[in-house]
Amino acid sequence: MPIEPDSRFIPNPTPCGRSRREFLWQVGGGFAGLAMIDLLTRTGAFPMEASAAPAGLNPLTPKPQHFPAKAKHVVFLFMNGGPSQVDTFDPKPELAKHHGQSYTGDAKIGSNGRAIGHLMQSPFEFKKHGKSGLEISSLFPHTAKFADDLCVIRSMHSDTAAHASGCLQMNTGNVLIGKPCLGSWLSYGLGALNENLPSFVVMTDPRGGPIGSASNWTAGYMPAAYQGTLFRSAGVPLLDLATPSGTSEHTQRRSLDLLKKLNAEHLASRPGESELAARIESYELAYRMQTTAAEVVDINRENTATREAYGLNEKLTADFGRKCLITRRLLEKGVRFVQLYSGGGHIEDTWDGHNDCIANHSLHAGETDKPIAALIADLKRTGLWDETLLVWGGEFGRTPTSEGVGKLGRDHDWHGFSMWLAGAGVKGGQAIGSTDEVGFKAAEDPCHVSDLHATILHLMGLDHTKLTYFHSGLDQRLTGVVERNVIRKALTGA
Amino acid sequence: MNRLLAALVLWFGFAEMHLASAASDYTLGVKPILEKRCYSCHGRLKQEGKLRLDAATLIHEGGKNGPVIAAGKSDASELLKRITTQVEDDRMPPEGKPLTPEQIAIIKLWIDGGAKFPSNESIPKLPSEHWAFQPVLRPAVPSIKNKKWVRNPIDQFVLSKLEARGWRPAKEAEPNALLRRVHLDLIGLPPTLAEQDGFANNAKGGQSATALDNVITNLLARPQYGERWARHWLDVVRYADSNGYERDAEKPFVWRYRDYVIRSFNADKPYDRFLLEQFAGDELPDSDGDTLIATGMNRLGNWDDEPADPELDRFDQLDDIISTTSQAILGLTLGCARCHDHKFEPLSTRDYYSMAAIFNTLKRPQNGRTELTLPAGRFEEISAVNQRDQKIGELRRQTNTLSSIEIEKKVQKLHEATPDLPQAYFLNEPSPEAPITHVLLRGSPARRSAEVSPAVPAILTRRQPQFPAAGPHTSQRRLGLARWLASAENPLTARVIVNRVWQQHFGAGLVRTPSDFGVMGEPPTHPELLDWLAHWFTHEGQWSLKSLHRLILSSNAWRMSRAPTADHAAADSENRLLWHTSYRRLDVEALRDSMLAVSGQLNQAMYGRGVFLRIPQAAIEANTDKDSIWQPSPEAEQSRRSIYAFVKRGLVVPMFEVLDLCDTVHSSAQRNITTVAPQALTLFNGDFVNEQARHFANRLLKEAGEKPRPQVIRAYRLALGRMPSSSELAEMTRFLSAEELQTKFLPGAPVASTALEQVCRVILNLNEFAYAD
Repeated sequence: MPIEPDSRFIPNPTPCGRSRREFLWQVGGGFAGLAMIDLLTRTGAFPMEASAAPAGLNPLTPKPQHFPAKAKHVVFLFMNGGPSQVDTFDPKPELAKHHGQSYTGDAKIGSNGRAIGHLMQSPFEFKKHGKSGLEISSLFPHTAKFADDLCVIRSMHSDTAAHASGCLQMNTGNVLIGKPCLGSWLSYGLGALNENLPSFVVMTDPRGGPIGSASNWTAGYMPAAYQGTLFRSAGVPLLDLATPSGTSEHTQRRSLDLLKKLNAEHLASRPGESELAARIESYELAYRMQTTAAEVVDINRENTATREAYGLNEKLTADFGRKCLITRRLLEKGVRFVQLYSGGGHIEDTWDGHNDCIANHSLHAGETDKPIAALIADLKRTGLWDETLLVWGGEFGRTPTSEGVGKLGRDHDWHGFSMWLAGAGVKGGQAIGSTDEVGFKAAEDPCHVSDLHATILHLMGLDHTKLTYFHSGLDQRLTGVVERNVIRKALTGA
Repeated sequence: MNRLLAALVLWFGFAEMHLASAASDYTLGVKPILEKRCYSCHGRLKQEGKLRLDAATLIHEGGKNGPVIAAGKSDASELLKRITTQVEDDRMPPEGKPLTPEQIAIIKLWIDGGAKFPSNESIPKLPSEHWAFQPVLRPAVPSIKNKKWVRNPIDQFVLSKLEARGWRPAKEAEPNALLRRVHLDLIGLPPTLAEQDGFANNAKGGQSATALDNVITNLLARPQYGERWARHWLDVVRYADSNGYERDAEKPFVWRYRDYVIRSFNADKPYDRFLLEQFAGDELPDSDGDTLIATGMNRLGNWDDEPADPELDRFDQLDDIISTTSQAILGLTLGCARCHDHKFEPLSTRDYYSMAAIFNTLKRPQNGRTELTLPAGRFEEISAVNQRDQKIGELRRQTNTLSSIEIEKKVQKLHEATPDLPQAYFLNEPSPEAPITHVLLRGSPARRSAEVSPAVPAILTRRQPQFPAAGPHTSQRRLGLARWLASAENPLTARVIVNRVWQQHFGAGLVRTPSDFGVMGEPPTHPELLDWLAHWFTHEGQWSLKSLHRLILSSNAWRMSRAPTADHAAADSENRLLWHTSYRRLDVEALRDSMLAVSGQLNQAMYGRGVFLRIPQAAIEANTDKDSIWQPSPEAEQSRRSIYAFVKRGLVVPMFEVLDLCDTVHSSAQRNITTVAPQALTLFNGDFVNEQARHFANRLLKEAGEKPRPQVIRAYRLALGRMPSSSELAEMTRFLSAEELQTKFLPGAPVASTALEQVCRVILNLNEFAYAD
């Protein structure tokens, strides 16, 4: 698929498909209409659509998948800033040969206004790992132990050179703001597995959030119930979770009981008001959330070996390690989608190695490699591995050229970059696709960010062409109107 | 035949033969295929070859080349030939993949089975016949039996539908409930004790209906009315104080637009004039500072100051304006016609780009990533300032002849003679010369097609409005559009705004897709009433929103109680017939403002730059520039009304976000109402509500003394506008005494929240507080 600047406007053969809701409008709704839709859905004549919840009803009620799912959970390890493919998962011997020469290909180099240097070989050594012999650079000695589980996609590409629109595209499928995120689509399409915790959890880096901040976990035009919830790995994990200071736990419960009683009296004179009943229940749910969320961040009961494995005893890895451990605990409680950010703020505080990509990547890989490997091992130990999909990568990659002649930094490269998938439904021990000989631009089997989204939805049991949300006169999709494809090669049994 | 059936059975993946036969049924099997693949060219929007396939009788009729099916004989059917032929140029559908063998099998089975269809299938109307595209005529007011119930024509329209079913409207709500409802509806604040007492006095002796009429008149005259109703408009025009994206910079002086909207509502500016000012405030003969500020509406959208593709970005910005305009004012989803003709509405890419030609004249004043503002004043005032600045420039160059002190003195004099104008945030049209606009194939700026001139969507008018010739300063294209929008002849403008006002008063519009009046939108529940209101609004009402409020609120329809009766609810759970009042949760602004009013903390200062409300540190930490992104405004500002809260697209105040603030990026027709646990956390544990509970408790101590009974009575009256029941009173006083003991004798407790504070916290969290009766 050629990378065209206007590719997002080429409609696929069946755009703007009609939804159940529109159909209901036409047939006038009612029981007969619904029964018919059920039949049509079962016969496949009609895409099954998770319908927007009526006012006051619980938007997080579990909903059926389109087809049996391989994965129940997704962990998105977001390497914020853009890791360099040629230094991580895309070995390029040719790059070493051309080291110091100008790039002669046709891809636009880097972001606007930045210096352009020469091709720069990777200082990190690539070695074959595992039975599969998957090549991984020396940045990831721990993750490399699980080489046979990783499916590296070396031919990722996106539409933008900027962090803001890049992060938006990786999270929402669109370079423009205001669209719902992948995690929102999953919450909307599947509902929650455990309502005592949010369904879509985000943990950011202590140095700050990704560029665009909350736009990266917004529910956009969907109800706020589907947005990502910020979760802190220590202290009070959720906003307003703690009982206010000055209120004892005893008083908290007594006050809640008083509220419940008065609300119940109010409801008694207004029988059958589902909205009022739902609101009463939401307070009890919130109270239970207080306990559940506090339990999740209480890692005192984890044994020494586990804490050591996640790197909690070392300053470098302690923060990301804690997040990875909390992630396992969140998954155990049924959280659907967890997104962890490595890197926050600007430039060298993220993977955005403009100045010195070697030092930058050594730092950020050093912070995350051991915790990620520990998470994989732990998921395997607990059995969660078989129902969890891991996604690793950033909003784009980095240029095989240096940023400025004789410099050590690398600029943004969205024409070709690497990500990896692992876990439920993923065929590990392989690399899919390729970049050109120096690692600049996707060559074989190019995978657009939206193809990745289609694949993630597929593994979660959702058809990306059928998961739609009616907004602004259109059945909107995570993957947009352009035809996108599930990356079949990445799947087991493919 | 058997083989086909076998294939179908396989296709379903399970051996349910009845499903296979169901699939060859017209409605279940054939129609969905035709709908998906054929309707867009052979349906009500287009009739290629004069053939329509969107109703079975029309399929049987055939097209200009004769019949397309021979019932019972699929082999002799042109339709089947065209979907199965190997000749690619002849094969249908011409775009996309051919039909699948399964789909072909279904159609074949159906034809061979006699091409039967249900006799009651209706033929979809042509879009030109769609109700919302017809001129607004004045329907006759229906006659009804129960004349006593009628206060104005609205009641007749509502009652006639109910009587047709043999239903009765719910009885009138209690006077104190109505008082609270009307206060929250019109000003977003609950009635004070004095207001409650005054109303009770005036309502004595069966005078409550007229007493309420007087309250309505009084509330409409208060500045708080504009603060409440401007917010509804800001939702529709996607107002925010920042641009979104990486830097998410503040839109400088954009708040002047918000203030302009508040002032316009308070002044009861006629809606036609309100539209003229916002679309063409710079092109009006009486253009002034306010009308320039009004045109800021077109600059409210998000803006990427570092777009990946600047040319595409230009059209993204235009798209924001076109989509907002069409949805907000016309109730049309014209934005869908950017890349291809609308699939469901009679809107073409030509319609879209003709609209683009109107706005393509606008430029964003900017200096690279920095946005610039412009002076707001009458044209002569702006030229005077420009001339002054020119003179100052000349003066400053005369360093040979004048000392710098002399120069600065003269400069100061010039400034005194011609003071600066206020700066405002709007797009401007720097030249009367309009750029050429083309249809862009598939929305791509690189693929220009036919040139277009300014026009409005063809389906809406038999004769295009006359676009004026370019004026001395601008192309006057927006003036042409604005005059057409703000005209009583426009079939949509009045219907859409009347419906929006109705929606805010009743919780749902007469059309329940308030920004979609197209053929895919929902039809009105009371079409005659909608048209009557729209016609009344542009004639007797003279586009006055306050008159419209008065009319609606004085109806008995609006004054009904919430009274769900089982049989009515079973037949009409969504209250489409308006047989009683629907519950509506307060939006976050009214909820927060009510809490401030009840606690006695509300700061009623109006206007000005947005207030940065305090945000919990945990929510700030997740931002890129966490140390600089959010500096809370001074304490006194914190308790101002919610409409003045700064809306940052990248960091929405968590309390607002969790309580279903509208989308801050797109035009929003209606607030979501979700009920989830994080809302309870925010309202029960969050700082804001707990602070207000503390203030509320102090207020009660001051106003009602130390004794529980008067405290609780006053609390109920302030918060809920009624006396507590005896059981509520008992419950509360029991809690107060028990909790006092606990806080006094529990050792090691932190500075304890008092029992009265807890009672106040509970009251602010009551369902009744958030849901007005």
